[in-house]
Amino acid sequence: MPTSKREKGKIKGGYFWKILQIDLDREEMRPLEFDEAFALKYIGGRGFGAKLIWDHLQKGPIYPLGPENLLVISPGPLAGLYLPASGKTAFISISPETGIYGDSNMGGSFGVELRQAGIDALAISGRAKTLSYLWIDNGEVRIIPNERLKGKGSLETEGMVKEELKDEHIKVATIGVAGENRVRFACVTSDWGRNSGRTGIGAVMGSKNLKAIAVRGSKDLPVFDLPRLQKASEASFRSLRENKNFAFWQEQGLMSVIDYVNEAGVMPTFNFREGVFEHAKKVNGYEMLSKYKIGDTSCFGCPMACGNVCLVKDGKYRGTAVEGPEYETACMFGPNVGIQNFSAILKANQLCDELGIDTITAGNLIGVLMEAQETGLLSEKDLDSLNLKWGSEEMVLEMIQRIAHRKGIGNVLAEGSLRVIKQWPQLRPIISQVKGLEQSAYDARIAISMALGYATSDIGAHHTRAWTIAKELEMGMAWPLEKKADLVIYHQTLRPLFDMLGVCRLPWIELGFDENQYAEFYSATTGVEMKLNQLLEKSIGLYDLTRAINMRFGISRKDDYPPERVFTLPMTEGPHAGKILKLEEYEAILDIYYQKRGWTKDGLVEEKKIETFNDPLVTI
Amino acid sequence: MSWKLAVVPERCSGCKICELVCSIQRFGVNNPKKSAIRVMVIYPHPIIRMPIVCRQCKVAKCMENCPTGAIVTKNGIYDIDGEKCISCQQCVISCPFGAIFLHEEIDTPFKCNLCNGNPRCVEACPKNALLFLPEHVLGQPQRMASVLKYVHMKEVEYVEKGERKVLRYADIEKGKGED
Repeated sequence: MPTSKREKGKIKGGYFWKILQIDLDREEMRPLEFDEAFALKYIGGRGFGAKLIWDHLQKGPIYPLGPENLLVISPGPLAGLYLPASGKTAFISISPETGIYGDSNMGGSFGVELRQAGIDALAISGRAKTLSYLWIDNGEVRIIPNERLKGKGSLETEGMVKEELKDEHIKVATIGVAGENRVRFACVTSDWGRNSGRTGIGAVMGSKNLKAIAVRGSKDLPVFDLPRLQKASEASFRSLRENKNFAFWQEQGLMSVIDYVNEAGVMPTFNFREGVFEHAKKVNGYEMLSKYKIGDTSCFGCPMACGNVCLVKDGKYRGTAVEGPEYETACMFGPNVGIQNFSAILKANQLCDELGIDTITAGNLIGVLMEAQETGLLSEKDLDSLNLKWGSEEMVLEMIQRIAHRKGIGNVLAEGSLRVIKQWPQLRPIISQVKGLEQSAYDARIAISMALGYATSDIGAHHTRAWTIAKELEMGMAWPLEKKADLVIYHQTLRPLFDMLGVCRLPWIELGFDENQYAEFYSATTGVEMKLNQLLEKSIGLYDLTRAINMRFGISRKDDYPPERVFTLPMTEGPHAGKILKLEEYEAILDIYYQKRGWTKDGLVEEKKIETFNDPLVTI
Repeated sequence: MSWKLAVVPERCSGCKICELVCSIQRFGVNNPKKSAIRVMVIYPHPIIRMPIVCRQCKVAKCMENCPTGAIVTKNGIYDIDGEKCISCQQCVISCPFGAIFLHEEIDTPFKCNLCNGNPRCVEACPKNALLFLPEHVLGQPQRMASVLKYVHMKEVEYVEKGERKVLRYADIEKGKGED
């Protein structure tokens, strides 16, 4: 219940005022109250997560796979509300893959259920004695040991937990074999295939002996002015449905990006060597529609329904059913490894979902092996005598299994690119990664803002913070660096704000939905009048905070460079053949970027700014 | 004329916007667990998402089984009279579709009352998976589909280079677009 102090306060909705701390070592559950200043400054979602991680770091060093690491699951104050695409939840931890701040967000409706259970965020530390799952029933928590779940797939586990708890409607977030085996890029899965994919959150769960988290919630979500929210939302839903691309988007979802990227010449092809894939038409959205798609899926509250459900009806992979693929998966298991058979991509997607592996990293690293075999950078013995030639479906599927089960060379790959490079330093130039996180499926050679976006993303080379490539291609290369840096910072400010609020960025980036509406949603929900630029300021603060966390792990300018390939290896084909990024130009934009962020020339946040994050709002 | 809320499960994407608008309309709260329509998701065999909602059966099991006469009907729309209902939950169990719901904070079961003739979920569904139709229209799409299916099966005879051949309509479609 809200305290009397809070009732008189400014915030009148949006929160349950409860962060639930779970210590698996002591089997202790403690609700942690937070105050208005905390909610106003960090908002929710990854904002809460980063602050909790920061506080946790003050107590001593954190080893990502040690029991001391903290896993925060935090949906945000707008999650679950009647507004477009309110189904997002952030998973935040110190990443086992990169060793620094890591987060990843999941769609579906897991976070909505968590909020309906009366919980704003979960903060899990310690390690269960045996393999267990958490059962959060409307706020009541139990740790349930269950060794039978050992070795089970992510989706299989979801089914088993639902059966054990005798409720089909509950939400279950699970890990697969890869998470149990602490594969450093294991993911967390819910809703039969919605993943918190990047930075290895699944391995953190695995290291805590936590196979699943099951939630049931039935509480009303607190909204200060529901009629006002309803009014804003109805207009928003209408504007989305009236968008001329709405039907096309529902039809193809993110798979529509394949054609665009290939035509633009920025498709990751053969381990990011090329930007155009000859057989792109065989793996694009139309191919999916004509032979494989059997249904649409969407996350909670989302009219856009970008999810696809595909089924392979004949051939070798007959019977393969999967929620997907998304653009990234189709690229990384398609052009990036030379595969042109769509059903093989679906099979790889399904395997990764069931085993619990991040498809982007897996596709990226398998591409690296294929190049290493071709160029002789790795010997036959290194490669377990596998014939990892471009386009070999069998080898891709075999490697996914080997990674998840940590078998042979799979055991090396399972450690993520930083440790792969340690083992085989000769691979450094051909692995596309930043800060240890493998690059996602957009080339950055010809778009310096995209390179800057990857390089300065707080989790590593992921496109989620700044996806500026389309704008830069549209504006032309001659656009001044200043503007490009501004664009990156705007993305890195607005997109994390979505993660703080618990909503999806796609209505904005794909259908041009007005971002100012989110300020209206926030104001209606919380009763605190806020304009978009005021919310964005909080997001800028959060970027400083995650940078401050990373500084604790020694991150500075030296780590803010895009993958090496971008500077050294020109593409041979396509509209951008022969082009590479110039290092001097990159240094220049990086200087501009730091200056605009108010960071030092070495990319550091000033101490006096860092001190503002030490406000003793939350103590664990 | 009686109107029906019809569901096209193949179109449903499982977004639950119907549940949201229902809970707001009915109880004035943002709580999908307080909605009189519920999206079921089955995975992986088969993969289907399907909203469950009252069909306003003309021979209503809920009404038959209610011991206190709390299921009332007006213009073909059934609802639960909170005054008469003793919350024995017979209606919940006897509904063949499971379209009557319970919530721990609400004393009596609740079901769809078609928003008194203007169901909000229908206009809110972004996939047009919910339709509000006059009773006599129901079944027309299926009738249409079965006619089309019959035509596709039918064979036509023709002569090519003096040779008698048989062609199925279905094969004509299949050949389209292939090299």
